[in-house]
Amino acid sequence: MRILFIIFLSLFSALALSSSGFANEMTLESFQQEMSRLQNLVVSLQSTLKDLTKTVEGQNEIIHRQSVRINALEGDKSFPAGSMSAPAGAPKLAGISQGFNPDIGLVASIEAKSTQSPEDGEGNDTIALKEAELSISQYVDPFSRLDSVIAFNDNLEEQNVDIEELYYTRWGLPLGVTAQIGKFRPKIGKANLLHSHQLDTAGYPLVIRDFFGEEGLASSGARLQTIIPNPWDVPFEVSAEVLRGNNGASFSGISRRPIFDTHLKTFINISENSQLELGGTVLFGDENPAVVTFEDDALGTEIPEAGQNKYGIKVFGADATFYWFLPESKVLKLQNEIYFQNRATHTRFDNQNPWGLYALLDFRFSKRWSVGLRYDHLQPLSIVGGSTEGVSPYLTFWQSEFADFRLQYSYTKPADDGTEPNHEVFLKANVLIGAHKHPVQ
Amino acid sequence: MKRILFSMMFTVLFLAVPVAFGKTGSQIRVVATTRVLSSLISDIAGDLIDIYTIAPPKRDVHFVQPTPKDVLMTKKADVFIMTGGELEIWAGPLLDAAGNLALKENKKRVFDVSRGIEFLEIPTVLTRAEGDIHAFGNPHYWTDPRNVRIMIDNMAEQFGELYPEHAQMFRQNAGKLKTRLDEKMKLWEKRLMPWRGAGIVTYHKSWSYFAEWFGFNVIAEIEPKPGIPPGSKYLGELMKQIKENNVRVIIREPFQDRSAPSRIAQETGGEVLTLGQFPGAVSEAADYIGMMDHNVEMLAKAFETLGQQNNKRMK
Repeated sequence: MRILFIIFLSLFSALALSSSGFANEMTLESFQQEMSRLQNLVVSLQSTLKDLTKTVEGQNEIIHRQSVRINALEGDKSFPAGSMSAPAGAPKLAGISQGFNPDIGLVASIEAKSTQSPEDGEGNDTIALKEAELSISQYVDPFSRLDSVIAFNDNLEEQNVDIEELYYTRWGLPLGVTAQIGKFRPKIGKANLLHSHQLDTAGYPLVIRDFFGEEGLASSGARLQTIIPNPWDVPFEVSAEVLRGNNGASFSGISRRPIFDTHLKTFINISENSQLELGGTVLFGDENPAVVTFEDDALGTEIPEAGQNKYGIKVFGADATFYWFLPESKVLKLQNEIYFQNRATHTRFDNQNPWGLYALLDFRFSKRWSVGLRYDHLQPLSIVGGSTEGVSPYLTFWQSEFADFRLQYSYTKPADDGTEPNHEVFLKANVLIGAHKHPVQ
Repeated sequence: MKRILFSMMFTVLFLAVPVAFGKTGSQIRVVATTRVLSSLISDIAGDLIDIYTIAPPKRDVHFVQPTPKDVLMTKKADVFIMTGGELEIWAGPLLDAAGNLALKENKKRVFDVSRGIEFLEIPTVLTRAEGDIHAFGNPHYWTDPRNVRIMIDNMAEQFGELYPEHAQMFRQNAGKLKTRLDEKMKLWEKRLMPWRGAGIVTYHKSWSYFAEWFGFNVIAEIEPKPGIPPGSKYLGELMKQIKENNVRVIIREPFQDRSAPSRIAQETGGEVLTLGQFPGAVSEAADYIGMMDHNVEMLAKAFETLGQQNNKRMK
């Protein structure tokens, strides 16, 4: 019995021992498995954490970009109306209230000139700030906007401030008409519409200067214009203007009547890369009333003298501009304008039928450079029978969209035979800062 | 005077009368600023719309000068679609010149398709010292087809709101277009996969989205700053950088100068590719998908050729 008990005990112990060893073995293995599983879990969690960190960083970046964009959009008051111009300045400064500020830009035109003519009032070899144009524009409401260009001149004799343009535009009048009131550059051909820094040459063509003034014609008045939809989708833009009299060389004097001006323009897409724009202009005005009185010095009495018939000055003009767009942003432009006047009297100017034209060939042959030539022919207002001829080659360096430098030579043979031809060399810089947009011409 | 006044007013009124009768036909008149937008909206709205595009595809979209024809078509338009993000700085003056009160009064009709797009390269400071930068960031976002999916949704949704009677059709067509685009994206990604991570040089900062989508590394632009042509000193530094990074592919667009990229390619043994960002910019690209097909194929072929040349050199 004792033997049996000992055997049983031994077996039990052995079993217990073996069972204990097995258990130990089992615990270690499962522990190792558990460890491995946990390690995998940690790796997976690390990877998930990495992904999450990346996502959060990405989201933060998006939030940052969107907040910058929201700030910028808040600053862009013209956004709903379709104008995408953002004023210069950091978006973070463009808060809601500042968003109502107008677009402001400044253009400086500096000109160095070497001439031979003793009649040149600015001197023969000079450098001058020709003009600083401050433009301030903004939408008034969904129906209208106000644009202004204030010009500061550093003239030799006195410094001037001129309101070059300040006009209110109202769209959507009956029959699709747009109205403008204030002071503006009238729709006369092509060159007169442009501000001096927009010109291809250092100054306006001779015919514009002689007929409408050194800086072209800018006048107070009112304009109605529309572009006529038609089944053929050929654009016909028509404008009618009433301008204050006594404006521009041709109409200056003591007239108390306004100038009437109408302009018609059409446009043809000749091919995918070439365009032709054709226009016609008619102006009616006068320089004096029908009767002008003079005070006789000896008698001290008023003496009536025949003045000018109503609307005795008629100016007719035509313009044609051809564009050829070449690869690599090269553009060839040929712009021509011709004007003819029929003046009922010669109270102020001798020539009753002055006329003039210019032809301008401009070739933008790279993003940085353009070259061109303008030919002028003019039978001026003040001289009968003679004609002024001019040739002006030029080279323009476009440093960027906002700064250009032009070198121009001009040869001018005056209409008066007794005067020597004038040779002029210009070096002109146009520099622009701020928001600056020109209306579609 | 009265006679002159009368005749001038009569002329204006006589010529303006057709405006009242100018709206003919039942199609929705849509003016799109670029060919990408025309391509997408044509697929979404089909024959319901009469589409006119402003920017010629071979010219620089930043410097478009709207013509009297553009003004006329905008005046007649029911909807005006634009890329936004200041890409079309000329759009405001064009809308002003057209004076289309229907567009001006309802901002839904002047439609910026960039809603929901994540813009890259948003400047923290706006200064022209950084060149011709855009306040809202890089506006060339359509070169990433993932953004085009958003544009398609935006167009379908906006047109659906404006013309609810056709909303379902717009959604269906948008869905079909996105399916086509998704299939193409897989093909494009597969075609370019071997060169993922490769370095490229672009003329203008206009391929950032394309590069981000596909994983190309734009190491530099030929323009030192956006819109600023390169000088010879900068080109010298750029060529050194290109050689150091062993970059062989130089991308330009048809309106960009060819001489600087060609000079760089000659000096560095690379190849200049003329790719389009707008349908019609290159003759092979009729629509958006065609344009991307062309661009992807040109890139793949260039990398293949340059790779073979490399292998030959190594042998």
